[in-house]
Amino acid sequence: MESIKRNAFVKKVGFNRIILLLILILMYIAFSILVPGFFGTARIMSVMNYVYFLGFLSLGVTFVIATGGIDFSIGPVMFCCGLISGYTMMNKGAPVIVALLISILIGFLFGVFNGYLVSYWTIPPFIVSMASMNIAKGIAAVYTKTQSVSWPLSTDPEKGWFRNLVSYKGFPVGLVIFLAAAAICAIILNNTKIGRYILCLGSNREAVRLSGVDTKKWEMLAYVICGTLVGIAAIFFVGAYTTVQPGYGDQYNNEAIAGCVMGGTSMVGGLASIGGTVIGVLIISLLQEGILALGFAKDIQLIVTGIIVIVVVYADVMSRRRKN
Amino acid sequence: MADAILTMENIDKSFPGVHALDHVHFDVRCGEVHALMGENGAGKSTLMKVLTGIYTKDSGTITYEGKEVEFRNTREAQDAGIVIVHQELNMVGDLTVAQNIFIGREFMKGFKIDDKKMIEESNKLFDELKISIDPKAKMSDLTVGKQQMCEIAKAISHKAKVIVFDEPSAALTEKEIEDLFAIIRDLREKGLAIVYISHRMDEIKVITDRVTVMRDGGYIGTLITKDCTKEDIINMMVGRVIYEEPKTKSSVPADAPVVLKVEHLNAGRMVKDVSFELRKGEILGFSGLMGAGRTETARAVFGADPKTSGDIYVNGEKVTINSPQDAVKCGIGYLSEDRKRYGIVVQKTITENSTLATLEEYVKGIFINKSEEKKITERYIDELSTKTPSADQLVVNLSGGNQQKVVIAKWLVRDCDILIFDEPTRGIDVGAKNEIYKLMNKLAAEGKSIIMISSEMTEILRMSDRIIVMCEGRKTGELDISEATQEKIMDKATRDIA
Repeated sequence: MESIKRNAFVKKVGFNRIILLLILILMYIAFSILVPGFFGTARIMSVMNYVYFLGFLSLGVTFVIATGGIDFSIGPVMFCCGLISGYTMMNKGAPVIVALLISILIGFLFGVFNGYLVSYWTIPPFIVSMASMNIAKGIAAVYTKTQSVSWPLSTDPEKGWFRNLVSYKGFPVGLVIFLAAAAICAIILNNTKIGRYILCLGSNREAVRLSGVDTKKWEMLAYVICGTLVGIAAIFFVGAYTTVQPGYGDQYNNEAIAGCVMGGTSMVGGLASIGGTVIGVLIISLLQEGILALGFAKDIQLIVTGIIVIVVVYADVMSRRRKN
Repeated sequence: MADAILTMENIDKSFPGVHALDHVHFDVRCGEVHALMGENGAGKSTLMKVLTGIYTKDSGTITYEGKEVEFRNTREAQDAGIVIVHQELNMVGDLTVAQNIFIGREFMKGFKIDDKKMIEESNKLFDELKISIDPKAKMSDLTVGKQQMCEIAKAISHKAKVIVFDEPSAALTEKEIEDLFAIIRDLREKGLAIVYISHRMDEIKVITDRVTVMRDGGYIGTLITKDCTKEDIINMMVGRVIYEEPKTKSSVPADAPVVLKVEHLNAGRMVKDVSFELRKGEILGFSGLMGAGRTETARAVFGADPKTSGDIYVNGEKVTINSPQDAVKCGIGYLSEDRKRYGIVVQKTITENSTLATLEEYVKGIFINKSEEKKITERYIDELSTKTPSADQLVVNLSGGNQQKVVIAKWLVRDCDILIFDEPTRGIDVGAKNEIYKLMNKLAAEGKSIIMISSEMTEILRMSDRIIVMCEGRKTGELDISEATQEKIMDKATRDIA
């Protein structure tokens, strides 16, 4: 074991991430054996639809968790973005591009709101995000008069083009965009001042503050990054699933957080891995697809994700206890 | 040895990569105070953790009251009568004294907790110890000294036969230490066996009967306290002779410019109308008892805590310092007394810690220039002779002294001209202490100005060019090193205490 860990390749990629990757592959093989017809591109594309929006949520929440915070509003905010921008387009005649920008803008604004309250008013992130979750649901419902919104289909000659962001003639454009976004996030986290400060303040806020760093600003920025990515996630959600209903979105909180923590981001902050988050998201998405393919109801997904969150966070707690 | 109540023999314990305890011998008799000494990392705490079952030993025997024992956890040890009074107190601040003492074994009256009985019992304990604490007081309202007394009372209430004091005096005032010693003597009279872990040589001479010294996990020897000198013990601890010579005259030229001037500073309840000047190349010692407001003064100057009023001048210019950011811009760096909480980011590397206050200088475009960052870090690892395999080492893996050097490096990278060292050698072993002292002298000689807050008299007298004494939030004295004596300082530090 020790000698494997010292191997240069393993050291570079990270032992835990290799294990995760193995789990992902084994899961895929297992589903392929259990479910006839699971193997093949059709299923993979279906899993990918899930990966895109969940991936952006997970990338976003990785920044927040790295500061030692939490954001339970990401799912509902994503729905809020999809609803308001979609409604503006479908019912008020806004062009598609404007709708997409509105979606990102709303995500960004929720990020600013959450971040400001958490860092400048020092309200616990748990409370802030629970509150903004309700606010997001409420605003969306009021704006759309509690109607669900359906985005244009790809056959729509004028407005359907945005679906090319998800896939173009069978080519997974969304995957390329998602991986590019992940790469940018990894660079931000590991090679820029923003990432350095976010990780350090997640580890020891006071020490960073007493080093003369404006911790409030950087902490807030983590939420803003998260919110913006949530706005992007909404685009991929509607690109894949078309219809958004007011009052939902909660279930994706847990899935996004599970993907992030599974990938090695510590719930107490200070440690984060974008690569890990990406693999974590793939695992969660494959699992969701697999559960449905096995013939279980959607509710089983909820139970499984709930259990995964607990197991993964428990593993994180235990590994830290061992280190101390 | 026949009357030893507790004997640990040939205790051996290894952790991956470290031989933490190497066939250590230790025993304590009824009615004696036995000191356990050694540098940090010598294995004292590990030995006590083996005793109370937090760690399991690899080999060796523990004999307690004539029987071989092996406790599985602190609870079992406690039930058998072995209690540790920790350096960091384990008290629930929001509960009362009585509730804390009887926590986990509350007296019940039907379904209700019988607070009255607990208060009575607490009073009995305090009477026995001849101390006056109100059992109804909230724990967080007590001084650290009083809280410690409560810990002792709790230990007694457990019918303890062996009490281990783990650096009990670290946070106590002189008066509280005296009270503590009175209690310890009393417990000794009553036939309890006391293990006393401390770094403070003078205390060892005063309170203990025997001294066992450990070094690097090994047992070095046991001495009868009254038959040995301080040098004997130190030599056993470090394996070399260390002389602590006090400074006799200031090394600052009379015309050195004032770099920092603080006037009528008020902050919170702990800083009242404090004024002082710091000159270029000077080491200005801040002496006083615990709770004198020294750290609070430093934090207010540094902008870490808000101030109510007062002016600060840096190099003759009036400055506004409302946050550590402002202070750092003025060239002030602050080393906290509580390194782990306020100084270092333990889960991060030495490099990441070293450039924490200067990161913007190592950013090229939007990217951090990691090679430049590493270069400067390695330079300071060299310069401060920080012991580490590489700049990428996580700070959590360094010893206390080396962690302190990382914090110092952080401010040197920033090229701060004014450095506030708050208890720079707390929790650091003797060898590393001397290195920090040397470093401070070197920095002062290079023209940096240092404020050094210290509770150790020898440190103050050894390092300072000038000494400011504080007492209960006020500056009560200012002494040039040439006229300073322990007595004079202590006189000013206690002046207001009735």
